[in-house]
Amino acid sequence: MNWHALWLSLRVTALATLVIVAAGLPLAFVLARRSFRGRTALEVLTTLPLVLPPSVTGYYLLRALGRDNPLMRELGLNVLFTWQAAVIAATVVGLPLFVQAARAAIASVDPALENAARTLGSSELEVMWRVTLPLARRGLLAGVLLAAARALGEFGATLMVAGNIPGRTQTLPLAVYDAVLNRQYALANRMVLLMTALALLSLWAVRRLERGR
Amino acid sequence: MSRLTVDVRKRLHTFTLDVRLEVADEVLVLFGPSGAGKTTILNAVAGLVTPDEGEIRLGDELFFRRRRGERPVNLPPRRRRVGYVFQDYALFPHMTVLENVAYPLWRRPDARRRALELLVNMRIDHLADRYPHEISGGQQQRVAIARALAAQPRVLLLDEPLSALDLAARERLQRDVRRLQRELSLPVIYVTHRLEDAFAVGHRLAVIREGRVEQVGPIEEVFRRPASREAAEIMGIRNLFHARVVEVRPDALVLDWDGLLLEATPQPAPDTSVTAYIRPEDVKVLYPNRPLTDAVRHNCVEGVIVECRQQSAFRELHVRLPNGHEVEVRFPHYTYTPLDLSEGQPVQLSLRKEALVVLSPQGAKQPIGVQETTNSEFRG
Repeated sequence: MNWHALWLSLRVTALATLVIVAAGLPLAFVLARRSFRGRTALEVLTTLPLVLPPSVTGYYLLRALGRDNPLMRELGLNVLFTWQAAVIAATVVGLPLFVQAARAAIASVDPALENAARTLGSSELEVMWRVTLPLARRGLLAGVLLAAARALGEFGATLMVAGNIPGRTQTLPLAVYDAVLNRQYALANRMVLLMTALALLSLWAVRRLERGR
Repeated sequence: MSRLTVDVRKRLHTFTLDVRLEVADEVLVLFGPSGAGKTTILNAVAGLVTPDEGEIRLGDELFFRRRRGERPVNLPPRRRRVGYVFQDYALFPHMTVLENVAYPLWRRPDARRRALELLVNMRIDHLADRYPHEISGGQQQRVAIARALAAQPRVLLLDEPLSALDLAARERLQRDVRRLQRELSLPVIYVTHRLEDAFAVGHRLAVIREGRVEQVGPIEEVFRRPASREAAEIMGIRNLFHARVVEVRPDALVLDWDGLLLEATPQPAPDTSVTAYIRPEDVKVLYPNRPLTDAVRHNCVEGVIVECRQQSAFRELHVRLPNGHEVEVRFPHYTYTPLDLSEGQPVQLSLRKEALVVLSPQGAKQPIGVQETTNSEFRG
């Protein structure tokens, strides 16, 4: 087993999932409950990485994070080909899955319940925390699992922005690719089995969450 | 004690809501067909719907104001302290009955105890640990009332449930609403499309049609004297007819209903062409060979029974009169048993003079105010 790649993958996935929830939750709320100009545009933009080839998403990220972006130059940031770039790539491809699931879960909460909470003296934040989120929790958890699974399995965009540096930016999916290229089939088998098991486990959990509502 | 005044306009899909209402320390019933805008009025008071224009205030406190040349105000729902019992109760499904009632109290250390007190008050403390889907509709409604009261509202709004409650649950609710109104002495608005419910809980009645207040007043008065044909129809009043005023005498107003002359008690008639009605209970069947009593001396007419219906509480006849029109007659089962009142039989009727009502449309245009004197008759 390539222990370094596994450990890096878990770290990248955990961080990316945190960022996905932090950024995706407000986005999902806005998309589920507000109507405004540019809503469709925002919706399309957040969903785009789901349908773009990962290498194309990766190319956009490469340009956005690279030296030719004046903002990055101004900030003096250089994240390309570091493990942080892998987190960014995993976040961008995982986000649409969470936002879609979370939006549907929030939209399925009866607005009358939120109105009832408002007449009972609750602020908007309190309504969200005590009524909407608890009622949407299954859908939200399913979204987290899907996004995390996607982040764990991210390959194309990661390769573009983080590279495939063994011991530094090589995540598990990239390590599988390397192992196959080097004809280390025993190693590839072990990693493939592990990833398949994780994917099956998360899909099973998602199904259970969705059925249990 | 604060008085709630509502004076708002809002454009809706099929009509424009345009209402002026005042609610004092009393139960005002909003009565009208579904889709008339009753719930929208409640939502505007609660702050869940924003009117296009107008003002809503409780005593000196502005809830809402949007008017040319005045500083706009729109208090968010949480600052209005309006208790709202929603149409489908809107209980939080992820909380127990007790947690639902304690919801508005969560910052208070004695939340649990206060919530339990409210449950005891509504006689549902034995349900404290159940979830909303585990209890009946009537029980859910009482939980919703207890929860609304927990926030110590200054106004209480009750929307009639869409799913019909059984009679016992409705009667209990009616008693509860009147009791709570008395105990808390706050303005209560109660929405219903059932006239029995209106009578059972209301002090005053506002008839709502297509977003407008068709008529408002003490409940018996509105029912006895609908201001317009529309108000009468909404209240399910039968035997409406058009007639001409042919004579105004000190002792009677004489109407010509397509050839049938009828006497009514002297009353203001807005025009020579009027709409009048008589309630089916006030059309009396006469025994052919008995002397007439004073009550039925007037407006005697012979007709033919065209339909005879047995209802649970009364019998109903449809009788064709000589002028070609039909009237509905209603009486309890135990009366008129010696008479053959089957279809096709002739029958003698009296349209009681005292019960003939001429509608006065100008009543609807009167300023809407609280008539305390007439109000008090219907208390308690």
